[in-house]
Amino acid sequence: METASDNPASGPSPAALFSRDHKIIAKQFLALGLAFLAVGGFMAMLIRWQMAHPAAPVPLVGRALFGASGGIISPAAYTSLFTMHGTIMIFFAVTPILIGAFGNFCIPLMIGARDMAFPTLNMLSVWTMAAATGTLTASFFVPLGAPQAGWTAYATLSTAVGTPGLGQTLWVVAIYLNGASSVMGAINYITTIIRERAPGMTWLRLPLTVWGFLMTSILNALFVPVLAAGMVLLFFDRVFGTQFFIAGSTIKGGGDPILYQHLFWLFGHPEVYILILPAWGIVSDLLAFFARKPAYGYRVTVGAFVAVTALSSLVYGHHMFTTGMSPLLGESFMVLTMIISVPAVLLFLNWLGTLWRGSIHLDTPMLYCLGLVFTFGVGGLTGLFLADIVADMYLHDTYFVVGHFHLIMAAAVLLAIFAGLTFWFPKMFGRMMSEPLGKLHFWLTIVSLNVVFGGQLVIGYAGMQRRLYDPSVYEFLRPLLPLNQLISRAAFVLGAAQLIFVGNFFWSLACGRRAPENPWQVGTLEWSIPSPPPHHNFEEIPVVNHGPHELGNPLVLARLGRDWLGQTEAAELAWPARTAPEGPVAGDGAETADIAGAPAAPEGTT
Amino acid sequence: MSGEATALGREAAARRGRATATVGMAIFLGAAAMLFAALFFAYAVMRAQAPAWPPAGQAPLPRGALGANTLLLAAASLVLRAALAAARRGDGARARTRAGAALGLGAAFLAAQIVVWRALALGGAGPASGIYGSVFFAISGLHALHVFGGLLALAVIVVARGAPGVARTDRRLALAALYWDFVLAVWLLFFFGVCLR
Repeated sequence: METASDNPASGPSPAALFSRDHKIIAKQFLALGLAFLAVGGFMAMLIRWQMAHPAAPVPLVGRALFGASGGIISPAAYTSLFTMHGTIMIFFAVTPILIGAFGNFCIPLMIGARDMAFPTLNMLSVWTMAAATGTLTASFFVPLGAPQAGWTAYATLSTAVGTPGLGQTLWVVAIYLNGASSVMGAINYITTIIRERAPGMTWLRLPLTVWGFLMTSILNALFVPVLAAGMVLLFFDRVFGTQFFIAGSTIKGGGDPILYQHLFWLFGHPEVYILILPAWGIVSDLLAFFARKPAYGYRVTVGAFVAVTALSSLVYGHHMFTTGMSPLLGESFMVLTMIISVPAVLLFLNWLGTLWRGSIHLDTPMLYCLGLVFTFGVGGLTGLFLADIVADMYLHDTYFVVGHFHLIMAAAVLLAIFAGLTFWFPKMFGRMMSEPLGKLHFWLTIVSLNVVFGGQLVIGYAGMQRRLYDPSVYEFLRPLLPLNQLISRAAFVLGAAQLIFVGNFFWSLACGRRAPENPWQVGTLEWSIPSPPPHHNFEEIPVVNHGPHELGNPLVLARLGRDWLGQTEAAELAWPARTAPEGPVAGDGAETADIAGAPAAPEGTT
Repeated sequence: MSGEATALGREAAARRGRATATVGMAIFLGAAAMLFAALFFAYAVMRAQAPAWPPAGQAPLPRGALGANTLLLAAASLVLRAALAAARRGDGARARTRAGAALGLGAAFLAAQIVVWRALALGGAGPASGIYGSVFFAISGLHALHVFGGLLALAVIVVARGAPGVARTDRRLALAALYWDFVLAVWLLFFFGVCLR
């Protein structure tokens, strides 16, 4: 089976390939996603080469990849490149890493469960994803080549009229399978979070990471099927000759290409939140952990997640302002889009509130989080320009849009991935990642990515459209070439910087420092068990007494000599001593403190 | 005494498992409902934009055959409910027989559906014949795939050699019945909303 080769098994034995253990499945998703992240990133480098040096032979790899055109990226190859770059990054890199890997790894550990509610379904989910990647990869090797209709695959371009050939059909199948995998995951995640929480793990004691995954899963379960419907109809149009997306005559009736956009964006806008909600969850937890304070406004943050989830499907029309939609409808979408920024801003303020007067520890995961706070801020604000109909008429389909969504998807989400990986790496693999290499990677990444995506905002504002093969054919875009070259140079630095991360990842995997049970000195459940956790996670199902961010409580510091409290530790430890003869509270704590098994004195908390 | 305790524990665990499985099935049906909702939305758009519906010169659908098919699917769903009732009474043998009957009815539905498609396609009213054929074949085709999935599930239940009336068969049967109700509901929407209008 061709899918087997796509999935580099992370387990030591072949049997691990068919494991039903959520931790191994998480690692399978991680391996698959990281491999495709590298492929998609490499494509971005090729795209940037073309933008900086239009129609010049690609150095080093040009002859091997584009031999027929003498090492030059041909227009058709360029079109395939940006199509596959978007498709791979969104569906086959970010989705498997952020949702597949982190979701699988974190949810059972953080809610105190031994595994997912449906372990077999979980295994099927990763194998469906593997089948999807196999199908997508196959599309490179068929007559007429890889798909060329853009990652959005707008009809009629994506129908057999616009893009003949098997490649685009395989793309449709791959996206459908990818969606099936996501829905399987969503069913599992929601059911697990509803049904498998440990005793005492009330809704408002859930780590925010879990809240993020819950909201993402709800959106996945509801809106990925809408994309699937679009894919089914596109498949029927391409294979069976139906006419859903092919405009007909006014007498006979017929299909409507705009229908595809409705189906696509009814999924596509929630998809933005599908990818950002886990990132929000992770960063909301990590900011608290590394500021050594409870997350500011936990309930408001949860409410913001829920509000964004509820509103996310009601704003999708802002992708379609230029399709000639009724102005009344357009204005409704504009207003709703503006409204959805309210919960997003509340969330952002809560992050700042968490940082405010915190005892900030600049470990690598925290650096990535702070980078995320910045890029999400810029990315979010630029979204407001695009939500405004008048501004959007001008900015639509320019590089401003590209810069905006890369600041969210490629900067904020990617930084959340790095933050999550460095943070949970010790729990996943039992070893610490290198801090100096991590810091070097962070600084190179954060500087270069802001030049790249900030630069894209600028050239987009100057009027350069996206998806142009060679902008220099337009006279008014020629002066932008130096800026494009600067962006490309920064992009190459960004690409090269990722090699540091790859090096760090494998070096740490092989010979990183052995991780203690609780290296970051935090209280969520996954840090109360060995690194890596045993097969069924918890010897005994834990009983939860606290929220996830019991940090910096002076009573705890006085009693236990550390600034954090595990979620399972005795409830009284966090309270002022009662006057009644309750017994020696500190003695109680000394017993329960053993659960953590880590050195009691935290470094540099005073 | 400890034996009694473990039996009680097993009973509680089975109940927990049943509830968990029902939650999972409900979420899955929510997802599947969104899939069909989007397809019906596409139908509504097509229809709203057509100058006449059915489009002029459109060959009529074989409503009689489709009506008979509706009865087949409804019968499958009812028989499956009866199988579930038998299983709940502890009558494992009858539960399996009835599940087998539902399987047969479902398979007959699928076979009859293939006959309808074939007749339409041969009569020049296939999926490529126009927007009417597009809508009919896309929705009924995807629905048939879901029926096929339900048949596989029923086959697993019938073939599985569990002891009669054990909780596992019970649970699977309950989930299958839920799923078949969903498949029937989608078909009824399609039959009354698309085929008869």
